[in-house]
Amino acid sequence: MNPFEEFVRYESRRRFLSRCANAAGWATLASIVPHKVFGRESAGAPVLVGPHFPPKAKQVIYLHMVGGPSQMDMYDYKPVMQEWYDKDLPDSVRMGQRLTTMTSGQKRFPIAPSKFKFARHGKCGMWVTELLPWTSKIVDDLCFIRSMHTEAINHEPAISYIQTGNQVTGRPCLGSWASYGLGSLNSDLPTFVVLVAKPTNTEQIQAISARLWSAGYLSGEHAGVSFRSGGDPILYINNPDGVPTSVRRQTLDGLKALNEIAYKSVGDPETHTRIQQFELAFRMQASVPELTDLASEPESTFALYGDEARKPGTFAHTALLSRRLVERGVRFVQVYLNNWDHHGNVGGRLPMQCKDIDQATYGLITDLKRRGLFDSTLVIWGGEFGRTIYSQGGLTKDNYGRDHHPRCFTWWMAGGGTKGGVIYGETDDFSYNIIRDPVHIRDFHATVLHLLGFDHQRFTFRYQGLDQRLTGVIEESRVVKELLA
Amino acid sequence: MKRRLDARLAALLVLLLPLLGTFSNAAEPKSSPIRFNRDVRPILAENCLACHGPDGLGRKAGLRLDREAEATAERKGAAAVVKGDPARSLLVQRIKSPDPKKLMPPSSTKKMLKPREIETLERWIAEGAHFEAHWSFIAPERPPPPAVKNESWVKTPVDRFILDGIERAGLQPAPEADRRTIARRVSLDLTGLPPKPEDVEAFVEDRSPEAYEKLVDGYLSSKQWGEHRGRYWLDAARYADTHGIHFDNLREMWSYRDWVIAAFNRNVPFDRFTIEQLAGDLLPNRTLDQQIASGFNRCNMTTNEGGAIDEEYLVLYTRDRTETVAQVWLGLTAGCATCHDHKFDPLTQREFYEMSAFFNNTTQRAMDGNIKDTPPIVSVPRSEDHERWEAVQGEIARAHGDMDARRKAARGDFDRWLPTAGADAMARSIPKDGMSLHAPMTEGQGQAVSVDVGGQTRLITAAKEIAWEPGHVGASSLKTRQDAGLTVPEAGNFGKDQAFSFGAWVKLPAPGITGSLFARMDDREGKGFRGWDCVIDGGRPGTHIISNWPQDAIKVTSTEAIEAGRWTHLFVTYDGSAKAAGVNVYLNGRRQERRIKNDSLKGPIFTSVPLTVGRREVGSGVDGAAIQDLRIYSRTLGGEEVQSLVRGTRDGWLLSKPAEARSPEELNELYDRWLIALDPSFREASTRFDSFERERGAIVERGTIAHVMQERGEDAMAYILFRGEYDKRRDPVKSDTPDALPPLPMNEPRNRLGFARWLMSPEHPLAARVTVNRFWQEVFGTGLVKTTGDFGTMGEQPSHPELLDWLAVEFRESGWDVKRFFKLIVTSAAYRQSAQVGPEKLGKDPLNRLLSRGPRFRMDGEMVRDLALAAGGLLVGKIGGPSVKPYQPDGVWEAVAMPESNTKAYRRDTGEGLYRRGLYTFWKRAAPPASMEIFNAPNRELCTVRRERTNTPLQALVTLNDVQFVEAARNLAERALKEGGETAASRADFIARRLLSRPLGVEEMAVVRASLGALSKHYAANPEDAKKLIAVGESKADPKLDASLLASYTMLANQLMNLDEVLNK
Repeated sequence: MNPFEEFVRYESRRRFLSRCANAAGWATLASIVPHKVFGRESAGAPVLVGPHFPPKAKQVIYLHMVGGPSQMDMYDYKPVMQEWYDKDLPDSVRMGQRLTTMTSGQKRFPIAPSKFKFARHGKCGMWVTELLPWTSKIVDDLCFIRSMHTEAINHEPAISYIQTGNQVTGRPCLGSWASYGLGSLNSDLPTFVVLVAKPTNTEQIQAISARLWSAGYLSGEHAGVSFRSGGDPILYINNPDGVPTSVRRQTLDGLKALNEIAYKSVGDPETHTRIQQFELAFRMQASVPELTDLASEPESTFALYGDEARKPGTFAHTALLSRRLVERGVRFVQVYLNNWDHHGNVGGRLPMQCKDIDQATYGLITDLKRRGLFDSTLVIWGGEFGRTIYSQGGLTKDNYGRDHHPRCFTWWMAGGGTKGGVIYGETDDFSYNIIRDPVHIRDFHATVLHLLGFDHQRFTFRYQGLDQRLTGVIEESRVVKELLA
Repeated sequence: MKRRLDARLAALLVLLLPLLGTFSNAAEPKSSPIRFNRDVRPILAENCLACHGPDGLGRKAGLRLDREAEATAERKGAAAVVKGDPARSLLVQRIKSPDPKKLMPPSSTKKMLKPREIETLERWIAEGAHFEAHWSFIAPERPPPPAVKNESWVKTPVDRFILDGIERAGLQPAPEADRRTIARRVSLDLTGLPPKPEDVEAFVEDRSPEAYEKLVDGYLSSKQWGEHRGRYWLDAARYADTHGIHFDNLREMWSYRDWVIAAFNRNVPFDRFTIEQLAGDLLPNRTLDQQIASGFNRCNMTTNEGGAIDEEYLVLYTRDRTETVAQVWLGLTAGCATCHDHKFDPLTQREFYEMSAFFNNTTQRAMDGNIKDTPPIVSVPRSEDHERWEAVQGEIARAHGDMDARRKAARGDFDRWLPTAGADAMARSIPKDGMSLHAPMTEGQGQAVSVDVGGQTRLITAAKEIAWEPGHVGASSLKTRQDAGLTVPEAGNFGKDQAFSFGAWVKLPAPGITGSLFARMDDREGKGFRGWDCVIDGGRPGTHIISNWPQDAIKVTSTEAIEAGRWTHLFVTYDGSAKAAGVNVYLNGRRQERRIKNDSLKGPIFTSVPLTVGRREVGSGVDGAAIQDLRIYSRTLGGEEVQSLVRGTRDGWLLSKPAEARSPEELNELYDRWLIALDPSFREASTRFDSFERERGAIVERGTIAHVMQERGEDAMAYILFRGEYDKRRDPVKSDTPDALPPLPMNEPRNRLGFARWLMSPEHPLAARVTVNRFWQEVFGTGLVKTTGDFGTMGEQPSHPELLDWLAVEFRESGWDVKRFFKLIVTSAAYRQSAQVGPEKLGKDPLNRLLSRGPRFRMDGEMVRDLALAAGGLLVGKIGGPSVKPYQPDGVWEAVAMPESNTKAYRRDTGEGLYRRGLYTFWKRAAPPASMEIFNAPNRELCTVRRERTNTPLQALVTLNDVQFVEAARNLAERALKEGGETAASRADFIARRLLSRPLGVEEMAVVRASLGALSKHYAANPEDAKKLIAVGESKADPKLDASLLASYTMLANQLMNLDEVLNK
């Protein structure tokens, strides 16, 4: 049997089983199950989406660095800039590019070379900042893109663009597309989970809201379910005070019996769907606390991710939770870490940000490898744009600020069918313009969808009369083959 | 006329077809002729029009297939469509071509025609290739209701259309629902609330023929009618209580929400309802209410993000308004045409921008200022203040007039007084006590300034040349330069527990600047910014008092910025309390509202660096600010002292000048001061003015505001934007309506008012249809056109095209009477059917699009919650007012909000605010009410004309566990125990009548008894659990009731509240 058929057979069976248990909540179950069983809304749903070819990445962990990390202080090493300290950015480099109103009034654009030391690491020889000693050890597992670019220069449109393919909000994000296309692997947990990590420093926080993980025009079940770091991980997951599980079970049994009586007299199939939803809710009440309870993790886990992983809400804790979610079959885990918007004090703030992510990132990649999940799990790291080589505000050798820069920034991927140790794309000496192999965020989306088993041009949803795509209806994009294993 | 008939015939034929969700491609009997709209257009739209459709820019080979002239035009001796001759039609040749290079659609589109589709196109051409305009662009005419077999079933004309469809599908309508079911359904549909049990029983008993009509009329005249209808409208209007973008701060918008409710309750005809919302501000003799209505166009999301580009957002706002209006009144997805000609509908990019011009002419600015009352706004007094409001305005005008008159008359008295006035007296009024530094900085030349420090006069020499410019309280003033601060080592060295004050006259060089004017602060690396400064932060003056920044420091500024280029007296006082509350900032002697950024000072603030003017020890300076009369006091000055300081320095200077040296402006300044201080009549008028101003202010304060539309002076216009990008302007265009729709009448103004009247004109094909379809959807769950917001080519065809037209005409000709329309619907036999369904109907009419049974679907989140509160007797009936914050799990706002947002922390209300109807819940766009969002409530970022209706486990968790549902269940249980008789059966029955509006059946009662038995057993054995359970929620359980008993009934009520039948209407 060829591997694709095998995959489809396996996947369909799994999907069928999980969706039956799952009912309409988490997956497009109606696509397989005849509408007799499920309700009217479901009955109108489209046919099975499914992948176009066997996916390399079955699951995704997407670490979004909110605010736009400074590429030339972390991954895009520009030694020549040391000689340019406090000199003006040549007009020939800037080429009249639009600036945010935060620096467009500046009289000068003095160059701020990175104050941090860089060294080469791994077989691939990737230059990495001294601020990421742990990440430096795994560069051969990562696939770097130093030539990402976008058109948006402010956070709201930029983050929306990079997550939904459109600067205007209201479109489904990558996680929703994955849920829509691939469905669920787990009957007791959501398909698409969102975790918002809290940075140590919070001086340059940007807005993050549910609109980023909304399903847009896709059906609401494909929206991300945000797990909270404080309080209940899922809203209303706990029984009221004074209601133990046994009592809840009793009331649900009675409820079911009464709903069956109603079904007998009215005959509305949706009643049966509802019975199943209540049962799934009951199972989630057991599985979610188990998921978030780290008591079963051995000491070695915390040695790997760092002690911070014990503290709910930290990036390290979130990274560990991501692994536990993937382990339990959650399709897409979206992580946000805020506070990368370093308009000022890069010297003071960047080390804190890097410390937040460094060991935990190393831990996550290493852990996924040890557990055999790395090859089927795609890990994505990056922010919504880069930062300028010229300083915003005052400039000293030790300190400077950097404004938003859409024309180049660095991302990396790992696992899930990507090629480790790749360093793709190149920027000019100023980390200002791309000189080789640009990757537009649409190209990136096309590549990720490819890894998930989809031809981005055929992976569509009919809305407002158009076959909508993550990569846009009319825009051009390409799969970046060089990044694939 | 022929075309109309064809369309009608086509519509009838549609009903003959077997129905499976879509009506477009179903197989048709061989004998029936092919119809363009029904059979051909869908195939073209799906496969061809993306390249050969209305979009001129994307069109391939210059060929357009959806219009007769273009499709049949001969080009190079051939035509795509040759009427009556498929073989010669290029269209047919290409879709059947064996050559893959020639085959259409091309393989790159990943589309392929099915054999039946090819056959349809061939037959259509063979039959003569008749084209039709898209159905929804042809104005509706009232069709005759069809004849039906089962005449006795028909109650209203609506029923003939419905029954016709049911009979043609070979089905029978369902029997009428029983009286209790129908009472519950109609109460929920007209008021959003369950019926009172006694009303249900009265209806059951009332055997008169008018019983049902009476019931309906009662609900239509209740105040809850307006709340319920309004709630649907607020989704379309994208009403919310925050701005939406970035900070997502509070927007005080609820007067618009209350207008909507009142408008439905007053049964404002829908044409007026429309015109007032789209153009209330432009109506002649507009009322306050009409202005409030114009808030419809102020509900869109706005931003104040630093760095955002104004033009980009102005374009987005206009686009949102245009798309919203298009969705709500035209049922068109105009958004597609922002970047290119609409791919499928006859809306060109130019037409989109012409239409957008109507909404592109507002005085509203791009940045919302993060404030709750972004201009343009108007004050909305409370209703009890309306009378005084009018009177006070008059009094203010009168007092103002008196002041003006006196100002003209008293000049002689002033002129006589002036030579006798002494400057010394003014100077003496300046506070001297505790002054530790005074630097007049009026030298006007040289490189040194004289300062008075600790009683000693010293000369301070600057490192670099000082620039001087004319002064405000002395001849000259010093210009700060950050590369050469003036330093005074012995001045300003205070401890954190010591009170001190400082200030100066300043003139800032530019708006929005940031830096320290003067400071005693150590900002060298690693010193933690210890000390204090007089700072300007984005134009806002204030101070840092720091031990170690940022964790051990105070930062306070005013909320208002200093106007650049204008002399301003700036003064800061600190009381030594180490608290931000101990800091006050004064501008021109007036105390300012404070903006507190840090309030965590604990450690010492002593530092050895000197007091420096122009910057801190090394950085953060201000270049080019004029500064004069800098003073530091080692104590707190009171408000009056600060005023004396301001007047003493300024007036003293003006008076000390020789008369001939005073400018006319300076003389007027003195005259104004004299009038207030020394002229009794002026002072009397001024006092009156102040007092009425205060009253006006108080009325404004306790009232609310309305965000309104305000037209700019010029004619409305917009630019065509290349690919919709704000900075790629092409041609300017004037406001106009799309060509495919009737023209804007010549006598109408080309503004929003003309546009709104155009929408409501009788020949408009869309507005009435789209509106009745939305109303239909509210009651039946699905519109006659399922795609409520898309009546274009790609939208779904109507299930009952003739009924839709009939209703549209009926609605318009009734004078757009909304209540009458709903009465027509809910009195129909179709509406009153039982929802029971069997295999036959599930097979032939699975989605109930034929209305072969009564409507039954899960209620919206607001209704589910309102029903629980009503059943528990908790619901507060108050109408309108500021939005409320009921129970919500902790951290829902905090998780998404920016630290600077004023809607970051959710502080829930207590008492009444917990139990208001769902439409009054505070709507934060970045985090909509959690429990309602789970039930598919939209986030109100954009216009929503159709909510989704999913069925998920998260919803189950809400109704099982949310405190508001548990508390409602306990209150319902409590009422059952007190008022529901003594037996388990009578009490369960009490609960059921409030949730289901009916008694329980025998079989159900058995289940309930078993549940109750198990629950009683548990709570009798576990009294602690019982106590905990009945303590849930803010309302207190009656202590006289047995806790275990109450807990058991609480869980029983909780169980019944989660019944599928309860969640459905």
